[in-house]
Amino acid sequence: MTTGQEKGRPAGQGADPEPRGRPVPINARFDNDFVTQLVLVLDTDTLEEAARKVAHHVVGRRIPPRDADLVLRVDGKSLPSGLTVAEAGISPLDSVFVGWAE
Amino acid sequence: MARMPREQWLNIARDLDWELSYVDYDAVFPEWMSGQGKVPREAWSKWEEPYRVTYPEYVATQREKETGAYSVKAVLQKSKVFEQLDEGWKSVAKQHFGAIALAEDIAQYGELRMARFGLAPAWRNTAVLGALDEARHAQIGLFFPHELIGKDPQYDWAHKAYQTNEWAIIAVRALFDGLMMNPNVVDVSVEIPFTFETGFTNVQFLALAADALESGDISFANMISSIQTDEARHAQQGGATLEVLVEHDPRRAQWIIDKSFWLSARLFSVLSGPAMDYYTPLARRKQSYKEFMHEWIAEQFLDQIRDYGLRKPWYWDEFMAGLETWHHALHLGVWYWRPTVWWNPQGGVSPEEREWLNEKYPRWEQHFGRIWDVIIDNINHDRMELTLPETMPWLCNLCHLPIGSAGSPYNDKYPVRSYPLEHNGYTYHFCSRPCRQIWWEDKDTLHDPTVIERLLAGGIQPPTVEGILAWMGLTPDVMGEDPYGYRWAKAYAKQPAA
Repeated sequence: MTTGQEKGRPAGQGADPEPRGRPVPINARFDNDFVTQLVLVLDTDTLEEAARKVAHHVVGRRIPPRDADLVLRVDGKSLPSGLTVAEAGISPLDSVFVGWAE
Repeated sequence: MARMPREQWLNIARDLDWELSYVDYDAVFPEWMSGQGKVPREAWSKWEEPYRVTYPEYVATQREKETGAYSVKAVLQKSKVFEQLDEGWKSVAKQHFGAIALAEDIAQYGELRMARFGLAPAWRNTAVLGALDEARHAQIGLFFPHELIGKDPQYDWAHKAYQTNEWAIIAVRALFDGLMMNPNVVDVSVEIPFTFETGFTNVQFLALAADALESGDISFANMISSIQTDEARHAQQGGATLEVLVEHDPRRAQWIIDKSFWLSARLFSVLSGPAMDYYTPLARRKQSYKEFMHEWIAEQFLDQIRDYGLRKPWYWDEFMAGLETWHHALHLGVWYWRPTVWWNPQGGVSPEEREWLNEKYPRWEQHFGRIWDVIIDNINHDRMELTLPETMPWLCNLCHLPIGSAGSPYNDKYPVRSYPLEHNGYTYHFCSRPCRQIWWEDKDTLHDPTVIERLLAGGIQPPTVEGILAWMGLTPDVMGEDPYGYRWAKAYAKQPAA
């Protein structure tokens, strides 16, 4: 795991050093990756922000970057990116899928 | 005094029992320990081990084996053999020692439980010798790596690993606690001597012995071959128990085999799979993991259970499909999360190795090649921080392996996804339907919290990547690293862009 600049960062949290909502640990899969991962999002995050947090652990690491928007899905349904995690009804331990918007 | 010939006393002594008069049978052989179930008490008198050994014979044979194994080691200790071994191969040995040496110690308790609570005298006597076997295996598995600690601190994990919270060890410990320590001994003897030892140890001991010899690690090959000869003897307890159980409760027999075969297959896919197909140097590989599993495990095991009138497990097609993908996903995971293991996982995806992988596994490129390409590009452009994780993979609540590793990308039938289950208000996650079903049926003996559960419950402090590594007991001198400084990936830098 990375050290130095990542020191002290909660596991699973990629890009948001100052939490402003309640943490929601999700079981996240990015399309075409080979594992699901623990990612901490906040209940106040928009789904676009949550999707970025998931992508942080995958894109450029195991999946090539693309110039495309991200989409977040739960139970097979794509959800509007402007909703917050709380509004979307995403709870701790939920399975969440993120991929490129086609 | 002349010795009585063994034929005149062995058959009586090995099966000598007595009627209890001062204590109830159920107090001596309680159900929760002995597991008689639907099998009538008298049926256990048919318990019979095919290969019989007296104690003097046992001691003489074991002495011979010990002399052989230790004298070869003593000779090689003075040579430069160790220094010439490939680092990839050394990791096979380090992984084996850490995962197995003290598991053998736990196996001793499993045997002793059968020696105490086994339902036939012949079984109890056979298990006593089995316990002595396992004591020997733990000793030899600790002694052989001990001399290497001064050369490489990762060998210290032969003794240390089992006593830490390192994730792979939690997987190993959960399996052996679930199959050896927690269930009753009827279940234990079908799960371990029959399914695990008869069915699976061939992979770790025969296949690795062949690869060890090819790799020049004669001492290791000699050690594990010596261990395997014991396994072959005490494993017969399983068949003898199964024969009685099948006659009176075939449904239970089928379930015990189904669940323990699945769990064993999942564990071996993270131990033997990467060892055979990635760590062993290409020129030294005898068979691919899939080839070995097809020949030595799948076919032989099915023949064996059919001989007992049992069916192939309900998930058989999924298991066979998994031989194409499971261990590749697990290797990729172990490599990417390499600071979390006590060995140095060889990347093993150089152009030549990749060609071999594609030849042995025709869909390897489609499933995993694209992911390795991103990793290779990062290595060759010095973006090393992107080749290291900042979070944990979600782990299966039964096998404790990463969710996704029972499937693969671009795989419609077995995709990368969790199979969740809500129970008592908590969402448990599983890598596959069989893991979920087995956990649901037998969670009382099988459940052990995963690293993820412990992290989220506040059991790992601080909850940072450094905190997790410290909680696992991993120090910088031991954390896994690519053994030859990513040499395998450098060849791609010389290739023209596609």
